[in-house]
Amino acid sequence: MASIDIQNVKKAYGHVQVLHDIDLQIRDGEFVVLVGPSGCGKSTLLRMIAGLEGVTGGEMRIDGKRVNELHPKDRDIAMVFQSYALYPHMNVAGNMSYSLKLRKIAKEKIAAAVASAASKLGLDPLLDRRPKALSGGQRQRVAMGRAIVRQPKAFLFDEPLSNLDARLREQMRAEIKKMHGDLKATSIYVTHDQIEAMTLADRIVAMHGGVVQQVGAPLELYDRPANLFVAGFIGSPGMNFLEATYSGGSVTLKDGTVVALPVPLALADGAKVTVGIRPEHVVMGGEGTGMAASVDLVEPTGFGIILHLSLHGLAFKVFTLDRAALSAGPNVHVSFPAQHLHVFDEKGDRCAVASA
Amino acid sequence: MTMTADVYDRRQDRRPWQKRLADASEPYLYSAPALILIIVVMLVPLVVGISYAFRDIQLLNPFSGGFIGLEHFETLSKDKAFYVALKNTLWWTGASVFLQFTFGLILALLLDKPFVGRGLVQALVFLPWAVPSFLAGLNWAWLFNPVIGPIPHWLFDLGLMSQPGNILSDPQYAMWGPIIANVWWGIPFFAITLLAALQSIPRDLYEAASIDGASWFQRFWSITLPFLAPTIAITVLLRTVWISNFADLIVVMTGGGPADRTQIVASYIFTQAFKALDFGYASAIALVLLVLLLAYSMLIILLRQTLLNKG
Repeated sequence: MASIDIQNVKKAYGHVQVLHDIDLQIRDGEFVVLVGPSGCGKSTLLRMIAGLEGVTGGEMRIDGKRVNELHPKDRDIAMVFQSYALYPHMNVAGNMSYSLKLRKIAKEKIAAAVASAASKLGLDPLLDRRPKALSGGQRQRVAMGRAIVRQPKAFLFDEPLSNLDARLREQMRAEIKKMHGDLKATSIYVTHDQIEAMTLADRIVAMHGGVVQQVGAPLELYDRPANLFVAGFIGSPGMNFLEATYSGGSVTLKDGTVVALPVPLALADGAKVTVGIRPEHVVMGGEGTGMAASVDLVEPTGFGIILHLSLHGLAFKVFTLDRAALSAGPNVHVSFPAQHLHVFDEKGDRCAVASA
Repeated sequence: MTMTADVYDRRQDRRPWQKRLADASEPYLYSAPALILIIVVMLVPLVVGISYAFRDIQLLNPFSGGFIGLEHFETLSKDKAFYVALKNTLWWTGASVFLQFTFGLILALLLDKPFVGRGLVQALVFLPWAVPSFLAGLNWAWLFNPVIGPIPHWLFDLGLMSQPGNILSDPQYAMWGPIIANVWWGIPFFAITLLAALQSIPRDLYEAASIDGASWFQRFWSITLPFLAPTIAITVLLRTVWISNFADLIVVMTGGGPADRTQIVASYIFTQAFKALDFGYASAIALVLLVLLLAYSMLIILLRQTLLNKG
């Protein structure tokens, strides 16, 4: 197991810079999830750590050793691909033992390593099957098995669950988390699915446009998003945003509603801000409380209900566990508890609390 | 129930006989164009050609044309030139297929890597395939000719030849002339098909293998080759049959000479038919070649089946 140090790493294809000065320290045994929309550079970063893409600038260290120029085969890392990339001409045991065979490890040791990985993943009855005779979930397990027999310095996962159906994805997610708990292996996991990121990560790295937006524990990103991008990306259904003006410790929404903030912010009076509130934090009340909004759409998810509202012409979502919302009339009233408001300045960054 | 209904229908069939005839022949009429085409284009010539093998047909002998049974085959079994041609065919086919395949594979592997101007190079590389075989033969015959071609002079300068002579008239090396021309002409076939197969291999398999610690050769051995194997099997089979039948280059470059040293069975057939004008004997040889190639094909197909069942 190893730590991974990424210092000022850049990546450019010709004149197009896709990664800008990435700085990231991954501790030994940590589970880090790179999350972001497609094209944000998360997969490129992962492939650079694996050695499948060259590093344009900066330095990459695995266990303190510079690996910029090192070939993938010499980095001692394992990777699980989205397509699984199983060798179709080898059976499951062959797929799992290939890397060990290349390292000229004794046959008995290989057999023992494969057997132990197979039993961990429940692959024992499938060892002499070819990949094409396996289901998607089984292939995924083989890909994981291929990675764990190696006992590599780090595991890299490139959207490993994207090709599975929802139920299997949930199951594998739990298994990956459990496996990480057992093996305590340094892992870097790329996904665009923020639920995977939230549930798996020790730390989440939110990326956008080749720039790291925020690094932190899942709940930190959820509770205190550093900017509009993170606020909108983490959480489902996504955060609602409203234009407002700040003055004297409270924000004034467009319709004139004034919400007093629990703490004053380091902003000048009259500053334009964006106020964000998560759908589950919006409070619905009766006539005369808060703002009036019309109901566009009601989505029962079984667990709760998502109401799509139109608030002064703005699309707005509310999530509630109260089934009474199902029979909500064409108009509802919503109000925003001040402690759940997120305030972002004109540049989209989270507003700092004014120092006392 | 249906039975009775059928019987009832038949008894009640009051359609006029023309209508019944038309209905009955309908499927045959639909398939007739294709069947007639196949029979006329493929089966008739085949049967006529085979029948020649059992008749005495010599263009210059107006009294020939009679049925002579197996006489041609008896002559053939004692024909020394035929056995020489058979041996030459093995050599010609083996060397040509092996070299075409080897160079074709190397070329395909090179063209699989992205580089500047790859599109243009690919187009150029496939050019020989578009050259008519007779033209290719003439070209190479001239290249080997010391009077107008440069190759003998180069070989002489390199010390590989004691004097700039014509390789095509050297009994020991004459076969290499047509083989080289054939290799030049046939590489693109292997390069095209193998390149297509190469490009269908998922890239992430190579990435997974290199992360697993495989060197270039190990990746080639455990990913590229297994993926190419079916294509290799089918192209080598095709080319083997094709090349052993392929007399154009030999007829143009050496005419089978010197002293039958480059005579393969296919060119021997050509010589018998169009030089000796003995169509009957030529057909008999062709029939033997057909049987040999069928046997070879069956063998390969059996081999493929066993391999597939094992795999």
